[in-house]
Amino acid sequence: MSLSRVSWARRCAPLLLLAAASHAPAAEEYSFDAAEFDKKPFELGGYLQFKQEAFTLNRSGAFYRLGTAGQTQREGLDRSSGTVELIGKLRQGIGTFDFRTHSDVQRDQLAHDSNNLLYEGAYSIRPDPGVTIEAGKRTLRWGKGYAWNPIGFVERAKDPNDPELSREGLVMANGDFIYNREGPLQTVAFTPVLLPVGKDVNSDFGAAGHLNPAAKLYLLYRDTDIDFAWQGRGSRPGRFGVDFSRNLSSNFEVHGEWARIRRFSRPVTDGAGRVATEVYNATSYLLGLRYLTEKDTTYIAEYYRNGTGYSEPEARQFYQLVDTAFAQLQQTGSSALLPKVLALSQGSYGRPNAGKDYLYLRAQQKDALGIVYFQPSITAMMNLQDRSYQLTPELLYTGVKNTELRLRLLMLQGTGQSDFGEKQNSRKLELHARYYF
Amino acid sequence: MKKIIFVVLCLIALPVVAALDGTQILQKVDRNLEPESYETYRKLIDIQPDGSKKEYVLYTLKKGRDKLVALFMSPASDKGRATLRIGDNMWLYIPDVGRPLRITSLQSVTGSVFNNADILRVDYSAEYNVESVEEQKDAHLLSLKAKTGEVAYDKLKMWVDKQMLLPVTIEAFAASGLLIKTLRFKDVKDFGGGIKRPATLETDSPLYKGYKSVMLWSALKKSTFADEVFTLNYLPRVQELRK
Repeated sequence: MSLSRVSWARRCAPLLLLAAASHAPAAEEYSFDAAEFDKKPFELGGYLQFKQEAFTLNRSGAFYRLGTAGQTQREGLDRSSGTVELIGKLRQGIGTFDFRTHSDVQRDQLAHDSNNLLYEGAYSIRPDPGVTIEAGKRTLRWGKGYAWNPIGFVERAKDPNDPELSREGLVMANGDFIYNREGPLQTVAFTPVLLPVGKDVNSDFGAAGHLNPAAKLYLLYRDTDIDFAWQGRGSRPGRFGVDFSRNLSSNFEVHGEWARIRRFSRPVTDGAGRVATEVYNATSYLLGLRYLTEKDTTYIAEYYRNGTGYSEPEARQFYQLVDTAFAQLQQTGSSALLPKVLALSQGSYGRPNAGKDYLYLRAQQKDALGIVYFQPSITAMMNLQDRSYQLTPELLYTGVKNTELRLRLLMLQGTGQSDFGEKQNSRKLELHARYYF
Repeated sequence: MKKIIFVVLCLIALPVVAALDGTQILQKVDRNLEPESYETYRKLIDIQPDGSKKEYVLYTLKKGRDKLVALFMSPASDKGRATLRIGDNMWLYIPDVGRPLRITSLQSVTGSVFNNADILRVDYSAEYNVESVEEQKDAHLLSLKAKTGEVAYDKLKMWVDKQMLLPVTIEAFAASGLLIKTLRFKDVKDFGGGIKRPATLETDSPLYKGYKSVMLWSALKKSTFADEVFTLNYLPRVQELRK
């Protein structure tokens, strides 16, 4: 070793020791000062999301043929979309104004679209911890089901493919009155709602010109959550229902919902296009459970009886009508039946989960393969009457601060004239990256 | 003479009367750790084997022996989530889901070595009975047994500092006798208002080798809240209670 190298090493030795010490496994000191979390008069947060979707189109499916009638036929479609949601709060005295905006831009080979919506924006006052009165646009979520909510009377329908997705609210005035006490009945909470429907307000809720009353009564009785829900007749037929949720053990929860809609009406068609309006009292219910194993696998299972849905023979008649309409167009050039079929497909026959009996099963594993914050899952949704189903394997990673990465594949399977066999897509691969701020 | 005998007997009996039994020690531990009703901010740090960290900040309120709410203040991806515990019942409110979901004590809302029973801990004496007390040099060693099957850990071994009557180390066991985790209380700090307690809690688990979680306390103070705060309907509004 040359002299110069030795003297360099000597000069640098303290630095090397310091560097080594900084990586030594020493007892770490932690500190925490909560001052930065003091309440502020204005708060703003939200998320930014990029999503890429690749659809494999189901060219023989009824809903593909109806959605692309007269257009160039395709095997697949790639869609890119960007979403920003801003969530804010403005406080003054006993009043708070909070909002959630939703803006998205999407582009695929066929179209370019954008939306700017106010999902929520409401002013609330709390004169007392047990009393809240608010007015504005609000998303109320009633019911205990994970994938479906038969008693979700005053909300836009949940997407069972993504039950935790934020949804646009409805304009309303509502209150919340809470009473807590000791004893078997620990909590009573009453939530009255007034929901106006006009030409420009909540127009997709139902018939205009009504101020719809609704209410929910919540009880925590002997460790069981119980809700009684009601919505008066107005823009929609009157309805009422009940739900419950209870832990049978520390890792096993059961829940259920039951709802009845009075004088519910729906169109029912036969294969020739003769449409009758059926009016009846519709009863829907749901039974579900959530079970956590010792190895941190969560199972969710739900059975849903959709009283407003179509039985397999009824749905088959509709699909026959679609076949007839396209056969007529091909053989005679007449498109006479198509408008009628299109109208039905855009109405109650085209709803997500328009069938009568569904089963939902989901298994998710926390920290799989020893990777913390890595959660793979698989979800199955089945129409029990026609045995068609959708299978969705999913990978979720949330290990990077404020970031969520999700990759999933939706695979639809079913014979002709079945629920999932006639959808617009047969496969969808989806990747989304979300950053919260 | 009778008076002298009486005084001597009293002096002999005094240590027995003054000595606390296990249940009293546990109740003292509960009150020395926190007032029965309080509010505080806590930071949870999850440390992975490669040294990377994930941090959460929770605003926590407790009332009585078994009512507790914890609201996530940070990170942004979890902000607004709130958990409620009433006795053995636990719920998680996620703003996007909008409806409280029932959760279990063995799950972890943060995904850390701390599970919900640790994060939403109520008084030890509300959940455990003292089976035995072993006197050691500087500590009482309490052997605790869960009162019901709903409690996350079937048994606890709690080393309690004799002078301060504060826990030093807790070993948590499953019903099978398996050691689930070890909790170590550190850095006794004066929070004011007569509250002097450890400001740091570290935990590791043989089930999560190489992982460690730390809980830090700040701004712990005695507070009272209306009972209505500890209800599902109030969860979306808990953050309005902060000063």
